[in-house]
Amino acid sequence: MELNGERRAALIAELRRILGDESVLIEDADVIVYEQDGSILQAMPEIVVLPADTAQVCGVVAAAGRAGVPIVPRGSGTGLAGGAVPAEGGVVVSLARLDRILGVDLRNRTAELEPGVINQDVTKGVANDGYFYAPDPSSQAACSIGGNLANNSGGPHTLAYGVTTNHALGVEIVLHDGSVAWLGGVVPDVPGYDLCGVFIGSEGTLGIVTRAVVRLMRSRERVRTLLAIFDRMDDATQAVVDVTSAGIVPAALEMMDKTTIDAIERGAPVGYPRDAEAVLLVEVEGVAEYTDRVMKMVEEICARAGARQVRVAQTEQERQSLWKGRKGAFGALGTLAPNYYVMDGVVPRSKLPETMRAVAEISGRFGVQIANVFHAGDGNLHPNILFDMRTPGALERVIEAGAEILRVCVASGGSLTGEHGIGLEKREYMGWLFSEHDLDAMARVRAAFDPTMSFNPAKIFPTPAACGETRRAPAKIPAGLWL
Amino acid sequence: MMTSMDRGALVSRLEQVVDASYVLHRPEDVVVYEQDAFLVAHAQPDVVVLPGSAREVSEVVRLAREAGVPIVARGAGTGLNGGSVPVAGGLMLVLTRMNRVLTIDPRSRFAVVEPGVVNVDLTAAAAQHGLFYAPDPGSQGVSTIGGNVGNNAGGPHCLAYGVTGNHILEMEVVMSSGETVTLGSPAVDAPGYDLVGLLVGSEGTLGVITRITVRLLRRAEAVRTLLAVFETIDDASETVSEIIATGIVPTAMEMIDGVVIRAVEAAIHAGYPEDAGAVLLIEVEGHADALPRLMERIEGVAGRHRPSLLRTAESAQERALLWKGRKEGAGALGRLAPAYYLHDGVVPRTMLPEVMRKVQAIARAHGLVIGNLFHAGDGNLHPTILFDPREPGMMDRVVRAGEEILRACVEAGGSITGEHGVGIEKREYMRWLFTDVDLDAMRRVKNAFDPAGLLNPGKLLPDGTQSAYSIQPQAGVWS
Repeated sequence: MELNGERRAALIAELRRILGDESVLIEDADVIVYEQDGSILQAMPEIVVLPADTAQVCGVVAAAGRAGVPIVPRGSGTGLAGGAVPAEGGVVVSLARLDRILGVDLRNRTAELEPGVINQDVTKGVANDGYFYAPDPSSQAACSIGGNLANNSGGPHTLAYGVTTNHALGVEIVLHDGSVAWLGGVVPDVPGYDLCGVFIGSEGTLGIVTRAVVRLMRSRERVRTLLAIFDRMDDATQAVVDVTSAGIVPAALEMMDKTTIDAIERGAPVGYPRDAEAVLLVEVEGVAEYTDRVMKMVEEICARAGARQVRVAQTEQERQSLWKGRKGAFGALGTLAPNYYVMDGVVPRSKLPETMRAVAEISGRFGVQIANVFHAGDGNLHPNILFDMRTPGALERVIEAGAEILRVCVASGGSLTGEHGIGLEKREYMGWLFSEHDLDAMARVRAAFDPTMSFNPAKIFPTPAACGETRRAPAKIPAGLWL
Repeated sequence: MMTSMDRGALVSRLEQVVDASYVLHRPEDVVVYEQDAFLVAHAQPDVVVLPGSAREVSEVVRLAREAGVPIVARGAGTGLNGGSVPVAGGLMLVLTRMNRVLTIDPRSRFAVVEPGVVNVDLTAAAAQHGLFYAPDPGSQGVSTIGGNVGNNAGGPHCLAYGVTGNHILEMEVVMSSGETVTLGSPAVDAPGYDLVGLLVGSEGTLGVITRITVRLLRRAEAVRTLLAVFETIDDASETVSEIIATGIVPTAMEMIDGVVIRAVEAAIHAGYPEDAGAVLLIEVEGHADALPRLMERIEGVAGRHRPSLLRTAESAQERALLWKGRKEGAGALGRLAPAYYLHDGVVPRTMLPEVMRKVQAIARAHGLVIGNLFHAGDGNLHPTILFDPREPGMMDRVVRAGEEILRACVEAGGSITGEHGVGIEKREYMRWLFTDVDLDAMRRVKNAFDPAGLLNPGKLLPDGTQSAYSIQPQAGVWS
């Protein structure tokens, strides 16, 4: 939807009136920064705006609506499914300047936040009082609460605490006509339709969140972390099944395979054994007696499943160091290849061993290297397909291999995404999970919120209309960027 | 209401889809379905159908839609807000024949059930695998999973496990068009819009649920139940607030006040001291070796608020008896007055002592007796107004006092319902919580699912009209 000269100029003038000149970006050199998120997809926005408050967001939405151009909300741009890529051009609305923590109510354990607040800053602000905000995506040092809400983000500790939707009580959103509505409330389970739940995970297609009330949790009395080292992937996946079948719900149960360990130890070494086929990072939280006994049970289960060694962190420093490897794993993959394509499939936990075997088989069949680092306890896989975009045909092969992995997940009773969302990347796969009638029910909800389909078009839903402006990132990595 | 000619035509078409013995239309048959547990409202359906399968539901919905008559789904009729009262007449779909547990998958811990399965029957089926279904409304011996989903039902143990919405993975729904859709997936957090979450608590206004996949949980290794007895509601409320503030989350923390205690003891002999101002029933679950110290900490907090007794149940029988008093407490109230009006408000837990004092003040101001038995740990109040409807002017006072209590909840930062839903009872109160823009968003979603407005009309959303129900109970109801 190309804006022609006159309409474009009029829209820019109006946006400048609302926001001031410096918060409206129109030059290619400025807007190109917003052409991509954490995925491998790109498209240029026509205009980028950076509103500073709800009223300005309302003004922007109303103006863009009148001009009939797409409106694409964006947080920190760490999304992994192309959700913030302006596939059909239009106005990208960056919420980065709405970054205030508006209030913290420790007695009722809630925090009121603007969408641009960085995930980690919420916990930082209340940690000294003994509280935390539970959803902890790996990108938590950079990603925003608004983006987390849009993608229903998870993280390692989602196993015990649930994903973002379990922690958001209410959201203020700007609707397609520029009006403001509150969905949900400040206490859980308010009456009426659970539109807060509908909004969370809607990937910017229903409106723009400008304020959110989230739940805070009390820090646990004791936290213990162990690293279990395995010589066979099969043993490690079996240990995951055994731990959860024993009725133990660790706070986190993460797996990293040999390729990932290799990358971490090359990039920022933390002392994971480089000859292991897989390691499990298991964390248990709770009251002291419980935590200690459960830790012993986990140790025994891992040993029985064939762990070569189980290292229990004895100090907070050791614990941090075990986590540092996991948290830095994605970045470290850059030491192995210039590009990676992270998949986000879900399988029932009982299907984990056979699914991991299938991933290994796909890796061999397509001739692509895959690094696995993921939330094993949730059955939430993250196979990272490593490649070099500059190799002709590589990207196509990678995408085919990725689709094949997701097909295996769906066929085993799982799902296309655990926490990264559908975005632009997987919308054509939605038909694997949902019938036309099912998708039609979603489309009607979409239309109820956004009759003109202005918000983040071309996302989530399979559409016959191709995303003309979208392209996969071309092989244009500047020389010397990759070390 | 339909004309008898229209009704006759619809009945004969329905009888081609559903066996004639399950199509009720004579006044003496349909009168049974004029009421739910919201005892102050009633209205008769024109036709009642008891379908046996999702296919039959779909056909019936199509026929009702063609005839342009309202469609009201009903489970066991234990709802407390009038949600299944057919205020605009029409066709009632009673789903109690669809009562099969279709699948239990112990490895992936889910069950697939039809909507008419009774709540405790599901837990009994799951118990064979060491699993249970967590939401446990007071009505669980009677109420159906479909009704629980429609109202997003809670229960004492929702403090730890969350209400119904936290336990539903997937559902099959017959839409107002008669089309069947599947929402969600057996894997958690399915992509796309969370329409499962939308349908949960939608009180029959968006579609008719014909199959439900629920999450099952593992039974905890050990459980302990403490009875804490106080001379005043205030001391009990302060104890609740402080336990929550320490970061302990019991699996249940229920309060029963003196009014209810005396009724319970007369009826059930649960062992609550009859001279108490209030008792708390506090339950913790988990690994055996973690519980003693947890109980110690809870007893420590309670000890600071002048308890007259702290007693931990020593046996499973003793525990069951303590719970029996709570579960059957509402029924026992029948001993004290011919009628009661059970309210359902929510307050932030820190506001519990203050709002409970307000409830007492409201009772005094209106000269009413109010009994309290409720989910204190959730801040989910159930002030129950006891009264005799035959007393002139009484209903007005009861309704006014109820409204004042709910207002006090909302002013304290809470909500007008924790688990019973809105129904016809509280739809006008929705305006206290939501702006016109907020409500319009809900109306547009309603319209997206039910453009003709035939699914359970007159419920959930305010329409500016006075509720169409009669608040005068029928003569002879109380004998």
